[in-house]
Amino acid sequence: MADPAEIRRLDELSAEMRRLLLRLCGHYSGAIHIGGDMSMVELLISLYHHGMNVDPDDFANPERDRFILSKGHGAVGMYIAMALRGYFDMDEIMATYGQLDSAYGMHPCKIQLPGVESSTGSLGHGLPIAVGLAFAARQRRESHRVFCLLGDGETCEGSVWESANTAGSYGLGNLVAVIDRNKQMMSSLEGVAMNLEPYPDKWRAFRWRVVEVDGHDVGAICDVLDALPPVDHDDPNAQPIAIVAHTVKGKGISFMERNVGWHAGSLTDEQMHEALAEVDARLAERLAATGGGIGGGS
Amino acid sequence: MSAIGTMVSARGVVGQTLHELAAEHPHVWGLTSDVGDPIKAFAQAFPDRYVDVGIAEQNVVGIAAGLALEGMMPFVAGMAPFISMRSLEQNRTDVCYQDLPVRFVGWGGGLTTGGGSTHNAMEDVALMRTLVNMAVVSCSDPNMVGAVMRRSMAYEHPLYIRLGKGKSDPCIYEPETMTGEIGAGLVARDGGDATIMAHGELVAEALAAAEQLAADGIDARVVDMYSIKPLDTELLLRCVDETGYLVVTEDHLAFGGLASAIADVLVDEGVRPKGFRRLGVPQLYTGFGSAPEQWVKYGYGRDGVAAAVRELLA
Ligand SMILES: Cc1ncc(C[n+]2csc(CCOP(=O)(O)OP(=O)(O)O)c2C)c(N)n1
Repeated sequence: MADPAEIRRLDELSAEMRRLLLRLCGHYSGAIHIGGDMSMVELLISLYHHGMNVDPDDFANPERDRFILSKGHGAVGMYIAMALRGYFDMDEIMATYGQLDSAYGMHPCKIQLPGVESSTGSLGHGLPIAVGLAFAARQRRESHRVFCLLGDGETCEGSVWESANTAGSYGLGNLVAVIDRNKQMMSSLEGVAMNLEPYPDKWRAFRWRVVEVDGHDVGAICDVLDALPPVDHDDPNAQPIAIVAHTVKGKGISFMERNVGWHAGSLTDEQMHEALAEVDARLAERLAATGGGIGGGS
Repeated sequence: MSAIGTMVSARGVVGQTLHELAAEHPHVWGLTSDVGDPIKAFAQAFPDRYVDVGIAEQNVVGIAAGLALEGMMPFVAGMAPFISMRSLEQNRTDVCYQDLPVRFVGWGGGLTTGGGSTHNAMEDVALMRTLVNMAVVSCSDPNMVGAVMRRSMAYEHPLYIRLGKGKSDPCIYEPETMTGEIGAGLVARDGGDATIMAHGELVAEALAAAEQLAADGIDARVVDMYSIKPLDTELLLRCVDETGYLVVTEDHLAFGGLASAIADVLVDEGVRPKGFRRLGVPQLYTGFGSAPEQWVKYGYGRDGVAAAVRELLA
């Protein structure tokens, strides 16, 4: 079980990430993919601030864990989670996001923004790339892991299953796919148009080990990450791991939750203030419920 | 239909026209890969002729080919970069090789999404026009897509219809000006000193450039080469003959798109303009920012076009 003080730290970071996303969504002139950003807040915070072995001051260290944001439209979520870790300057993100010649755009670009492992944004590309990184690590007998965060809608792409097939067949035990299973995409409402269930079984059928988790519970996510088996390239039974994270699109803001209209959007000042207040209220609730006294309270 | 200057959503026109066509023609289908918002009304009215496959562009084009083999006329609504690049082999082998009447309607042409190079469609015209049997049309006026879609009911081959951002654009023509004829060009402004050829959103930029030039006493013609393939070669040759100078601008790589199509015709016909310039995206992957900002940065918006004409005439 993750330490309560650590859980509290991650909950506070998650709340801070939500505030920053909301502020940007309020003042940026264009649309932000706020629904899908909100649904992966705890996942990104748990990875960048707890589970992954990364060092912003030595971001090219060959021993680092690799992270590929396959749902590249969530770039701003990744920028903010990374900036909170010390990779980037938050003010610069907030001031220049999406603008001409900014390194911080709607989809992450590795060339413009060193620290990003791979450029993404066209869905269904990330997992094959992650498989390539995992093969390279295996050949070099390196013990880092490769994490790949995907949208569930994204897994309608055949390329996802082609690479899942490869990873399963080759038993890439150093590969972890994290799926943001919010059951919404952009226009195809699950249950109306597409039906992806039985979702975890699909990954199992491709020879992956599946772990399901509440994608908004940092303690539960950390437990899963902490329990990942060590990378052993000689283990003939090694399997890639799929963490199916049950999430809510627009999580944390009542008027956004499960409302696919907030796949992308911008906030009026009034909406932004309403949403910011809700973040504070929900954090206070959460800290109270998880023993918020630990760590001194604020 | 709206008068010049009115703001209209081309995506809205796609939805409305598809709805109308489906009501008239029982073989019209609408397909999408998770970007079906603009065709929602059609989907509700004709649920048995609508499929949203989720995010799966190769899949949706293959399904469209299957429907067309059974005599249907599928319109595939999608984003220009993915409908041209992701499904390219399906476009070629399933649709074009079998010469099937699938309509690819793609929005976000050129740099109009502002989303960076994953979302730029700066190769789509080059890729789609290289496919045998595929016609390529790029709409400058938001209502043009409606005219082309209606016209396409009598066109039995694959067709790519490219839109710009398509959310809210000014109408530049009186509605009856747009016949939607595949294979024709449109003189958007007459003039005798030089011709500017453009397609899509750059036609409005070319018109603005012509205004600037008029202030300097240069009388530029603006031709909307919305039908990039087949190209209106007669109109092209007439413009070169009558105005001598030719500037081509497009929200696309400067090589491979309309300018290349034009250059091929000129070389093959042995026609040499007095001066020729092509403007567009250079050989690089562009960054972020709005399309109009990038048109300025890479010199193919109104100012760049006006400067190119001045240079040629100097
Ligand atoms: C190949 C491709 N097709 C279409 C898109 C446009 N698009 C961006 S986000 C999105 C929906 C994503 O849904 P999902 O993967 O479930 O992500 P989330 O709901 O978490 O935002 C679509 C269709 C794209 N970026 N790439």
